[in-house]
Amino acid sequence: MPTKPEQPHRSLTAANVRNFCIIAHIDHGKTTLSDRLLELTRTVESRDLEDQALDAMDLERERGITIRMHPVTLKYRAKDGQEYELNLIDTPGHVDFSYEVSRSLAACEGALLIIDAAQGIEAQTLANYHLALEHDLTIIPVINKIDLPAADPERVMGEVEELLVIEKSECILASAKNGIGVEDILEAIVARIPAPKGHTDHLRGLVFNAQFDPYRGVVSYVRVVDGELKAGSRFMSMAHQKVYECTEVGVFSPHMRPIKKLAMGSVGYVIANIKSLGDIDVGDTLTEANNPAHVALAGYRKAVPMVYCGLYPNEGVEYDDLRDALDKMKLNDAALSYEPETSVALGFGFRCGFLGLLHMEIVQERLERDFNLDLIATSPSVVFRVTKTNGEVEMIDNPSKLPVMNTIESIEEPFVKATIITPPEYVGAIMDITIARRGTLANMEYLHDGRVILTFEMPLIEVIVDYFDQLKSRTKGYASLDYEVIGYREGDLVKLEILLNGEPVDALSFIVARDKAPSRGRALAEKLKELIPRQMFEVPIQAAIGGKVVARETVSAQRKNVLAKCYGGDITRKRKLLEKQKAGKERMKRVGRVELPQEAFMAVLKLDD
Amino acid sequence: MGLGVYVHLPFCPYICPYCDFAKWPMRRSASEAYLAALRAELANERSLPAQTIFLGGGTPNAYDAATIGELVGELRERFPAPAGEAQEISIEVNPELVRAGDFERYARAGIDRISIGVQSFVASEIATLGRKHTPAQVERAVAAAREAGIRSVSLDLIFAVPGQDAASWRRSLETALALDVDHCSTYGLTVEEGTPYERWREREPRAFLDEEREAELYAIAIEMLEDAGFEHYEISNFARPGHRSRHNANYWANGEYVGLGVGAASYRGGERSVHTRELATYLDAARGGRPIPSERERLEGIAAVGEAIMLALRTAQGVELAGFKERYGVDVLERYAPVIATYREAGVLEATDGYVRLTRRGRFVANDVCGAFVVFS
Repeated sequence: MPTKPEQPHRSLTAANVRNFCIIAHIDHGKTTLSDRLLELTRTVESRDLEDQALDAMDLERERGITIRMHPVTLKYRAKDGQEYELNLIDTPGHVDFSYEVSRSLAACEGALLIIDAAQGIEAQTLANYHLALEHDLTIIPVINKIDLPAADPERVMGEVEELLVIEKSECILASAKNGIGVEDILEAIVARIPAPKGHTDHLRGLVFNAQFDPYRGVVSYVRVVDGELKAGSRFMSMAHQKVYECTEVGVFSPHMRPIKKLAMGSVGYVIANIKSLGDIDVGDTLTEANNPAHVALAGYRKAVPMVYCGLYPNEGVEYDDLRDALDKMKLNDAALSYEPETSVALGFGFRCGFLGLLHMEIVQERLERDFNLDLIATSPSVVFRVTKTNGEVEMIDNPSKLPVMNTIESIEEPFVKATIITPPEYVGAIMDITIARRGTLANMEYLHDGRVILTFEMPLIEVIVDYFDQLKSRTKGYASLDYEVIGYREGDLVKLEILLNGEPVDALSFIVARDKAPSRGRALAEKLKELIPRQMFEVPIQAAIGGKVVARETVSAQRKNVLAKCYGGDITRKRKLLEKQKAGKERMKRVGRVELPQEAFMAVLKLDD
Repeated sequence: MGLGVYVHLPFCPYICPYCDFAKWPMRRSASEAYLAALRAELANERSLPAQTIFLGGGTPNAYDAATIGELVGELRERFPAPAGEAQEISIEVNPELVRAGDFERYARAGIDRISIGVQSFVASEIATLGRKHTPAQVERAVAAAREAGIRSVSLDLIFAVPGQDAASWRRSLETALALDVDHCSTYGLTVEEGTPYERWREREPRAFLDEEREAELYAIAIEMLEDAGFEHYEISNFARPGHRSRHNANYWANGEYVGLGVGAASYRGGERSVHTRELATYLDAARGGRPIPSERERLEGIAAVGEAIMLALRTAQGVELAGFKERYGVDVLERYAPVIATYREAGVLEATDGYVRLTRRGRFVANDVCGAFVVFS
């Protein structure tokens, strides 16, 4: 650590503390194992253990993934007779949150790496493993679900040896569901993971996660790296240079329990009347206000949105309601960004930035579910770097804002390194869909068990436009994907415009590789024809590049829509039928004279190759 | 504004697979009990003059002609013709059940309009519709009505029947025209919830006609009937001059009506109500002299106006602006200016000489246009 102390520090080891996290591919059993650890250490009585006690949000349970989870302190009396404080720190289970993952790893000395005994190592396992190594963590491999009929622990241990370069003998065989091997895991945590080391003074606390509580303000989850943090003391956020009075510190066991101080090496929460997550955020370093550390802990960066889309109020939703909802969401989600924007087609709304596609879906779903807003989302875009002929550089997060072609010198777009692990029979299909998305194969490696690791470099925009769904369907769900952004690259890109009734619809335009533009245009026009219901008028659909029409479709005018019968004077029934039809229509968005269903704005995501 | 009386006679010799009216297979005991209940309900009605009486079903002529005659007599006693006005009394009949002398008995009772449920003259379509009559039976029924001196004879036809095409539909219309009837109703097949037809369409959606073909058949009906001198006076109805159904016209004019019998609808004093569709519940209440359990609805303000427009737009005349202003206090052109402008531009609505009405093309998409005026309740 690049600290240059001006006065000598006293080093210390918190001998009875262990900080660890669990990293795993989705569905490999992270949550179940967490629950068993809580149960076995009597942190939670099993009868009180709601299934998956640590997953706080419905949405997460439904999706079977953990987005944010609080840390938990377990008391464990090991076989050596001593009592240990084991701090389990969660890591978000999705690539969109890789920065959050890295901060959680930075708060630990060790990690349990869970691998499904039937599925073996997946792309996400590998990505998380490498991330853990970068943070110098001690890895304990756990082969989980060994009692499944399809389990093949021998094979999976072979993979561990081959891919992770960890000796077979270090693997713990377990079934979290049935409690097999859980005690071995606890013993390994104590025996193998190093105790935290730090200095006794010059507080430095790493904020590895933070949540907003409407009554208490921001609750920061902190790993104390040096010194100690006392209730009643004054501390400073080094990223934001703001001083706060610490009103409460405590631990999760598993519920919040206030204590007097968080000592060096330990993990807990801090409350200090912080009004919003913009004032303190993940990766921040807390230090004493009166005796600040000289250097913040490494690795802080502001969350950078990678994916953008427009969010617009639909019929009956007020712009102000949407803004209020976004303001409230932002309190608990520092990574969300939004700015007002106006669309000719959709009126007043917001350009919103997200960490990735999942983050986008979660935010949209919360706005609709928790705030009861009926929204129209435009298809997602990435941030393009446009250099104009006059040398000016613009970052474009909305395709409709792309400057006219003859003023553009070059367009660059974000690229990712995508890692895919797949059974060998799908390699051909994966090559097809990835190359069709401008991917180039960077590496191909065969695993012990015959599976293949493919590494591609490809544009991020191609990943967010339906790649994951395609990958899953072409490989019957067997391939796993992980990706990381590797920088900007120049591309031969153009704006594809969609015209309805001869009028360009800004919310439907997108940026695409020039040589693929005509086929994408045709596919989108066809898709729109499918999605747009028949109207009073014939609706011509055109796709155009730089004013040149490359595809044309027509939605025929409505031909017949009549209730023939009188229902013996049951007028109410007749009217209700019309109301039902009308209700369907009112969910649509009127653009010029054309009624567009909400799905039309996402149509670009649903194009077949 | 006048008053109409609707009487529902729900029994049928057999049940058609597309029908979703309140109906039951004919059984003597049930039909007698039902008649008694109907009479009990009638006895509780206040006596009022009525312009029209309509016996619908079900299959009203599943009852014998003498019973129908007596029932009509009792109805006329309770609901006499308004002073100096002729009363229109209609009955729906199934041609297979018509026996010699029936229509004479009807005529003596005062029935002056007979609506024959034909649906199709093409044998395969009749079978598809689950019906059993022959074209010859229809012919004999029409002749019998003429002989009995029935003033108006109407045929019901259905288009967009699975298996139907332009040629077979023309054949049905030609046969109807050759019978020289006074009135014709053409209904596009509606697949209703809970019917065997709905299940059929789920299994075999391709058997059913698409929008294009349905529109084509509707256009053929309009063309052939208008050419033969019929007025297309309402979306599904065509009449020779002087033969429009006054009973149905009252619905479209948002007039009041009394519905008697199971599942029957009424509109009185601004309240719409529909009797229970459960036979046992109806019988029980009616025979006990209690009010019939009903679903009720009262629309106020603009919702009521929207509904009135929905009804008026079905007619060739359309919305009479001065009349609406007087009756509802609403200037339709002003109140609905954006909607009217949109649909005029689309060529489906016209506003001329004091009326707003559907254009010829508008009749094909009436739901969409009418829907723009209704207000969510």
